[in-house]
Amino acid sequence: MTAMADFLPESIADWTRDNSSVTYDRETIFDYIDGAGEVYRSYAFSHVLVAVYAGPDGPDITVELFDMGNPADAYGVFSYAREREESGLGGGYERRGRVLCFWQNRYYVCVTAEERTENVDRILMDVARAISERMPPASNPPDLLTSLPSAGRVASSERFFHLHPSLNYHYYLARENILKLGPETDAVLARYAPGSTYLLVVEYPSASAAAAAASSFKQGYLPASSDSGTMQTENGKFSAYEQRDQHIVVVLDAESDTAAEDLRQATVDRLTQPSR
Amino acid sequence: MATGKARLSRRDFMKGVGGALVGMAVGLPATASGTITPPGVSRVVLIRNPDVVLGLRRTDGELIQRMLDEAMVSLFGLDTPSECWARIIRPDDIVGIKTNVWHYLPTPPEVERAIRRGVLGAGVLERNIGMGDRGVRRSNIFRRSTALVNSRPMRTHAWSGVGSLIKNYIMFDNPVRYHPDACASLAKVWDLPITRGKTRLNVLVMLTPQFHNLGPHHFDEEYTWPYGGLIVSTDPVAADAVGLRIIQQKRRQVFGADRPLQPTAHHIALADTEYGLGNASMDRIELVRLGWQEGSLI
Repeated sequence: MTAMADFLPESIADWTRDNSSVTYDRETIFDYIDGAGEVYRSYAFSHVLVAVYAGPDGPDITVELFDMGNPADAYGVFSYAREREESGLGGGYERRGRVLCFWQNRYYVCVTAEERTENVDRILMDVARAISERMPPASNPPDLLTSLPSAGRVASSERFFHLHPSLNYHYYLARENILKLGPETDAVLARYAPGSTYLLVVEYPSASAAAAAASSFKQGYLPASSDSGTMQTENGKFSAYEQRDQHIVVVLDAESDTAAEDLRQATVDRLTQPSR
Repeated sequence: MATGKARLSRRDFMKGVGGALVGMAVGLPATASGTITPPGVSRVVLIRNPDVVLGLRRTDGELIQRMLDEAMVSLFGLDTPSECWARIIRPDDIVGIKTNVWHYLPTPPEVERAIRRGVLGAGVLERNIGMGDRGVRRSNIFRRSTALVNSRPMRTHAWSGVGSLIKNYIMFDNPVRYHPDACASLAKVWDLPITRGKTRLNVLVMLTPQFHNLGPHHFDEEYTWPYGGLIVSTDPVAADAVGLRIIQQKRRQVFGADRPLQPTAHHIALADTEYGLGNASMDRIELVRLGWQEGSLI
């Protein structure tokens, strides 16, 4: 296996990598990024290599190369907080301010300029491209995303994760883990218009695990739901859920019962398509 | 459905179960003000100055000193700042000043110096004053401390909603212990032998607060603004509750109503409702506003 350091050129145009690269693993990540290290640990993150490039005139460039264990989790951490996604670098990238992040294969990469300069956009992209070219080829996003209907889906709102705290980060559902999420579950969440409807799809290791989670969810969140699993909540919006084999589909905050049921059904239809 | 504390759900918030949590979730505006603090009510002083911020991580030290002095006099209702410091710090105290070193937005050295001056002015020997963040568990001064002063900037945080005064004590223990449920149990760290009952003053730095995260851990000054404030109180929960409302209001102003904190900063409300550390509900907070009022967001 190629060492992550091999993805980092010694120099990129006028920028030269210094010799002070540092690696942090799942235990030492907090020494580097404080409590937010839990975001990475909520995936299969194994370690991050941090390197700095210095140029003659511009600001230092910090490169963080995260080994997320597998492509799905590299996409997951990329999706965690991205607001816009652009194509043309790795599996997708986002640039905000002085930071450019992309995911490629099992890796999540962030390139940060220590200061804003006039040409910071070009510098970030040059450095990111030079690294990307040395990395394994890009992968597709997790297959579970194909269960999300495209009609009405808000661009770049898709999140992929495993754990209950991650769900609560994106959509606060409950303090207790009523959907029984864990490292062995895959989940995708996306926002839909009109309004601000959320669609959650969870894949469990087995149908029995999904059934247990569905029972827990009904008892903990929608105890008065109809036989069809739909009910109006206190904010006047509508929620619906359904377990289908090893999956649970949950619609939250839909504008009407019909909208909730339609979105749920469209999702179930996609899950049961033979091509999946 | 279950409504016990352990099962508090989004629907409980909608229904109003959970007390202060409701206010924390929706960012209710401040209502309390006055000059005499009733029993059970926490006084919080918000002081602002439009000229104190010289840039990101650049602060006018003289104005900081004046702001802290004014805030102390107002907080304790005494005539001079030195009387106020003498009220909370004894000459024989061993004092730990807990700061925050996050390099993008640390406790400003000007604030650290103003606090140290106050403690020295109360008669504490220089050798009995310690200041630090990481490593406080191993610090001889902090381990022997009889009094603590707590100060940090407020910022959004990808795991706890905000970096708060309450959270600033996480370094007194193994931080990982407090990470579940968006750091819901952070108030417990205030009940360790090294911290219990020792905190005399909290200074929440709102000079250039950070109101939004850039990814899980990155920083961009685009998400800070020159608020020019300090929030001072003996109640860390109340000070955090006020700071949180300002952050939430700024997010509403910038993003519109549909951008709640991610995750919710419920550790502040729970510090009140589950751990009794202080008051998170604005109807039990007496907010005293001093100085610059424009754009106070609360």
